[in-house]
Amino acid sequence: MVVTGAAAASAYGRGTEALLAGVLSGRPAFAPVRRFDVGARRVRFAATMPGSPELLTEVTRAAGEACDDASLSPSDRARSPLFLAIHGDPAIARAPRDDQPGLGPEPFTTAVAGGCGLAEQGVRCYMSACVSASTAIADAAAMIARGHADRVVVAGGYLVDSDQFALFDAGRVLADDGQVRPFSAGRRGLLLGDGVGAVVVESRESARARRAPPVARIAGWGRTGDAYHPCQPHPEGHGLARAVTAALQRAGIAAEDLGYINAHGSGTGQSDPAEASALRLALGDAAQAVPVSSTKSLHGQTLEASGVLELIVTLLAARKGMLPVNAGFLGADDRCRLNLVLDEALAATPEFAMSLNAAFGGANTALVIGLP
Amino acid sequence: MTPLAPVASDGLAALHAAAAAARLTVSSSACWPETDADGEPAALAGFIESNFSPLLAEVAGRALRRRGEPQPSAAVTAVVMVTALGDVTSATRVAAAVDSGARVSPLMFFQSVPNAVAGYLAARWHLTGPVACVSGTSAGLDMAALLIDDADADEALVVRVDLAVTGGGDRAAAILVTGPADRERP
Repeated sequence: MVVTGAAAASAYGRGTEALLAGVLSGRPAFAPVRRFDVGARRVRFAATMPGSPELLTEVTRAAGEACDDASLSPSDRARSPLFLAIHGDPAIARAPRDDQPGLGPEPFTTAVAGGCGLAEQGVRCYMSACVSASTAIADAAAMIARGHADRVVVAGGYLVDSDQFALFDAGRVLADDGQVRPFSAGRRGLLLGDGVGAVVVESRESARARRAPPVARIAGWGRTGDAYHPCQPHPEGHGLARAVTAALQRAGIAAEDLGYINAHGSGTGQSDPAEASALRLALGDAAQAVPVSSTKSLHGQTLEASGVLELIVTLLAARKGMLPVNAGFLGADDRCRLNLVLDEALAATPEFAMSLNAAFGGANTALVIGLP
Repeated sequence: MTPLAPVASDGLAALHAAAAAARLTVSSSACWPETDADGEPAALAGFIESNFSPLLAEVAGRALRRRGEPQPSAAVTAVVMVTALGDVTSATRVAAAVDSGARVSPLMFFQSVPNAVAGYLAARWHLTGPVACVSGTSAGLDMAALLIDDADADEALVVRVDLAVTGGGDRAAAILVTGPADRERP
């Protein structure tokens, strides 16, 4: 399975070039929120694009740009289903009750597909919190691997909004110092960020038949559950470790073959040590050698879009030969000892890289990409 | 004593039909309401104001208790949730609180995504497979079949919840499925 096209938008701007330049700058995109009133909130920072962009417009644009990037013809698009990762239609919570049944995620997904000429048959909407997009990518790869599809367009989108901001603030998980510091001593939580991403995933044969050059391979994937708690990760990362192991096995590679890990790295007290433990369990000694960063420290936590935005960051960085920094680091936490990329982006050309995501419900995903 | 009348469930019939289309074998199933006795679902500790999570937990528990044979200790069970609108009750309450400047309960944060109740179920029933939520019944059963085919799960618990928005009652259904008997292991 190969990726033949990608598109993104984030607080660094629209387009994959802006995203790569932003994360390689090492400068986090967090700033005081101006999109809505945060006067009553404990924390007032997020990583947002200017203004109040609309989710439907942004996701449709990204999915269309990914198709353009993959040089998909109108007839190619018309045969390609869309898997979309979103929280839901942003309009539903304030709609009159009579209108709510028409504002489900499926009509929204169908509208995105129609807006960029993709097949309206076979659309699927993923609403599995922070593993939504990564699960969609794993499913797309698995379907193509098993011959159930030739090509799937996977998109995801989250734009920082007043309701999720209020919920995360009420849950006291936002970083009140305005910085996300994954795996660091003194970390104080996560910050939300705008994120929109789309990738075209297809079989190597399909890409070859169209003479479309692959930008990366989806080499392996794993998806597991912790069976531990409604919203806390297993403290030793047992579920995430199984996802990492499954992804490596599918890719047919050893832990030592990984040249970079874009960690889930939420920057919260419980999640980071659990993830470090998972990496030690799954990778053994290699966990101390492979360069790790969490790009959430730069573009923020983009919720349902995380899996696709962070996969795009990972593949762009691997292709560029520069690994993004783990920003905000203050000092070592003994429970989170990893080979973090600190101070500045690291020159390296990993043959294989991994992107990790975890979510409420103990849901875990691991995606391995390889350079073509 | 008058026997309780069974209630027809379109949702459960749709799950069975989608399971058959995906060539899955049904181990057990349940729905809400199932009889006239199903009024309000039992409260679920930590979940407030909305029936979404209590209903999901109730029908899933019924289906899991009805499985024909005990779950093999090493079996990996996926949790796939299906919902056309999500927890629209919670979403509406949060929006109203934000717009009026009222305090938002921290408990609403923890139930803001369907994954939370899936995590409750997974911990209660030791379900160690993938956790996912998708928008349609066919998509849910197709995903269950794919997870089993792809060896990320041995079986899948697929649960559909539809909260009443414009009348009628809340409805839910659950189905526990495995691969076809003639499936070749990868």
